[in-house]
Amino acid sequence: MDVPLYLRPRVDPPLASLLGAAPFLRSLVDALGSPLNVLLPESVAANAERFRAVYRRHHLAGRVYFAHKANRSSALVRRLAAEAPAAVGVDVASLDELRHALSCGFTGDRVMATGPKDREFLWLAARVGATVNLDSVRELEQLAGLVRKYGLSRVDVLARLSGFESAAGHGGAGTRMLSRRSRFGTPAGEVEGLLAAVERHADAVELTGLAYHLDTTGLEEKGRALEQCVLLMDRCRARGLAPRAVDIGGGFGVGYVADAEEWERWTTALSEAVLGGRPPLTWRGHGYGLRNEGGTVRGSVALYPGHRPDAGPGYLDELLSLPAPVLGRGPGTLLLEHLHDLHIEPGRSLVDQCGLSLARVLDVRRTGEDSETYLVRLGMNAGDVSLEEHGVLVDPVLLPRGGPEEDDEGPVGVHLVGNLCLEADLITRRLVFLPRLPRAGDLLAFVNTAGYAMDFHAHHAQRQPLARTVAVEKEGDSWRWCLDEDYWPITHPGGTPA
Amino acid sequence: MRYDSITEAIGNTPLVRIDPAVHGLRNIDLYAKLEMLNPFGSVKDRPAWHMARPHLEDAAEGEGTVVELSSGNTAKALALLAGMHGMRFKSVTNRMRVPEIKELLLLLGAEIEELPGRSECLDPTDTDDPLTHFHRTLSEPGNTYLHTDQYFNPRNVEAHAEGTGPEIVKDLDGRAPDWFVACVGTAGSSTGVARVLREHDPEVRVLGLVAHKSDFIPGIRTIDEVHQVGLFDPATYDTIESVTSGEAIDGMLTLVRRCGLLTGPTGGAAYQGAVRHLGAVDAALEGSGRRETAVFIVCDRAESYLSYVRARRPELLGRASRGPTLATLTEEEVRAGGRSATVDEARRRLTEGDPRPLVVDLRSPHAYAALHIEGSVNIVDELFEELVRGGLPFAKRTPVLLACPVGERSLRYAALLARMGHPDVRSLAGGIVAWRDAGAPLVRE
Repeated sequence: MDVPLYLRPRVDPPLASLLGAAPFLRSLVDALGSPLNVLLPESVAANAERFRAVYRRHHLAGRVYFAHKANRSSALVRRLAAEAPAAVGVDVASLDELRHALSCGFTGDRVMATGPKDREFLWLAARVGATVNLDSVRELEQLAGLVRKYGLSRVDVLARLSGFESAAGHGGAGTRMLSRRSRFGTPAGEVEGLLAAVERHADAVELTGLAYHLDTTGLEEKGRALEQCVLLMDRCRARGLAPRAVDIGGGFGVGYVADAEEWERWTTALSEAVLGGRPPLTWRGHGYGLRNEGGTVRGSVALYPGHRPDAGPGYLDELLSLPAPVLGRGPGTLLLEHLHDLHIEPGRSLVDQCGLSLARVLDVRRTGEDSETYLVRLGMNAGDVSLEEHGVLVDPVLLPRGGPEEDDEGPVGVHLVGNLCLEADLITRRLVFLPRLPRAGDLLAFVNTAGYAMDFHAHHAQRQPLARTVAVEKEGDSWRWCLDEDYWPITHPGGTPA
Repeated sequence: MRYDSITEAIGNTPLVRIDPAVHGLRNIDLYAKLEMLNPFGSVKDRPAWHMARPHLEDAAEGEGTVVELSSGNTAKALALLAGMHGMRFKSVTNRMRVPEIKELLLLLGAEIEELPGRSECLDPTDTDDPLTHFHRTLSEPGNTYLHTDQYFNPRNVEAHAEGTGPEIVKDLDGRAPDWFVACVGTAGSSTGVARVLREHDPEVRVLGLVAHKSDFIPGIRTIDEVHQVGLFDPATYDTIESVTSGEAIDGMLTLVRRCGLLTGPTGGAAYQGAVRHLGAVDAALEGSGRRETAVFIVCDRAESYLSYVRARRPELLGRASRGPTLATLTEEEVRAGGRSATVDEARRRLTEGDPRPLVVDLRSPHAYAALHIEGSVNIVDELFEELVRGGLPFAKRTPVLLACPVGERSLRYAALLARMGHPDVRSLAGGIVAWRDAGAPLVRE
């Protein structure tokens, strides 16, 4: 076998300390079953503070809106509700997320309603004074109709824009930067029609800003969109509107893998394996989007960039510092000079390092008779940690039942399979290397799953149990816990006043 | 020498011996093949012309667009060739990573299309890469694209097998060198040259250099990226090694400062990689009485890579300045020397002051036009810094109020102007933001 191709997770101190408390985690799984989700509400507050620090560095005002869709938990939303109202809000993308945010202590004015919206969602958002992030002129008309019909107060709206590439005609002649097409928002080229509609419905809505969300890791694309927004804000002002904020959405990213070299070694090995130069690194030789065409690798690798040194607040900082193509100033300076507030909607990056998912090892056997690799069956399925679904590759941490044993044979390659009666139920298609062979009864901890990987795809197929979720907090050397639904930021998990 | 067309000047580049005192190899003669002396400035002139020539000569004047996946020298050569034949050129690229090259391409009339970055919210079932769209466009019926396809086109290799390789053999008096060192980009030059050299002498050893995986060297691919190149065949190389951008710049500095070779970082990488690898070979030759020869390629020139160097070794391009500047002002000097005025004070001075202070708004012209203090003048901070480099730009009798967004930069300038001898410079405390928040009037242009 090769040197083990580890992709060991990035683990910051609070999570590391939790992983060190293996007996505590085992007792939780013994009591609440496998799988089990564990959250650290204090870490989400710390992350919000890191984003705020970037705001301060650039002297910018505006709010950090948590994109609720990244995690269903109450504890995280309640903990964020306890942060400064002017600094932290919540971005909800459904009627139920809105209801949940309100029940967790967010007042309507701290809520941003985004995504596709039905009439009930629009009504409740308008009713409680939330800001509506408008997807289209049609939605604006629907909202204005509701406001008039039910005698509601004027609603703050942001206009979500998309398709900046065609609108950037007056800058960078000869250069066209392509972007992925989005199904959301009004094309920037059609903004005049949207603004005219906003003016038509001025009795029902007030335009407080412009918004976009681009699905890309590319800083330049985002920088260009931000600059376009600044230019468009000026056109709004010239028309007599008074927008104040630019909402740049989310997509700040997370670094999952700790070591750049491990990530690079593994991705290089993937190319080699696809070309047949080494044994497959995956179940049935899956290529993650790469394929072998006559000895040349074709396709593009469909994986989340595992090692990202500049993710999260660092990425925001970099974006704000980037020189803008038309006006020549960095986006941060542009926003500041034009007296605009900055809103962001981080999801994944705001819950970075805020939780883990635990699974019990149920069965371990060799993949084939003479095989050096093993099948490890877990008390969870691919829906419970949807890392694969998001192209995230990272090793779980092995928490052995007893202490390490004398006859440990060292690193071993395993395929992690789920509890469904389904060929495709693999926790990951990657051959995972663990420092030693797990035994039935051991726990595997999937670290950093709070963003999209914890409950986003969890389901009840085959009547397998859904994971329970607990919130934990360190107190001295010990850990306290409570069920997610019982957590409130004013009480320590366990019942004593905080 | 007289030519009918500049394309006749492509090729026949010099082979220049590197002074052993510079590289330190005692038993190896190291030669540089100066591809940077091609008329469009790089090794890519050969394949660009060889690939495009049959099409360009057939094409009707003024019709069609040459298109290539290139962000560098191939694009540059093709843009010039297309222009000569009345055609357009379009470069499709992931990202233009060298700003000077991008600007140069625009100057040459090229169109640049930049592909989108990676998806943040990944859908692993969507394996449709942007290049698929590119190829779909090319195969649409009725399109007038001419795709030179440098990563797969055998004429890329041929250009070197017919030109670069035989020239090296001829200049070494009919012998192939013992070593050939090439950076691997499209693999065109290394494959073509290696083929010819091995025909002369099967013992020739070929060292292929790739960029260190997380690093970037213009024109060189990383070990993963070379696998995506159709022309790349691992059997071409006896050894493949990686070089870092740091080594590329080191090599470039040696060649530029000591050998009179105005190479860019790619040539620097080839030199540094060659010397690093040949060091051990040289030691083994010591005392054997044998001499060996090695050839590496200098693929383009230094001028286009100043920002590349600036981003990695800013100290190499440091600019000296005279007198006090913003950069030399310490925090303490700013605190001690910078005076500020609150919004209320500033408003009072503006209405009652005699003479009324001159208000200088340091924000960008666009922000100034959108909203500003009535009667203020706009000198964007970058220009202002240039301006005060030469001395005080206003009379000492005129009081000055400096305004920036939050009163931080303006305070630094206030301290600087005070140090330069102006008796009455104030910074607007809290800046234009505080002014707005206090409800003071702002006007639009």
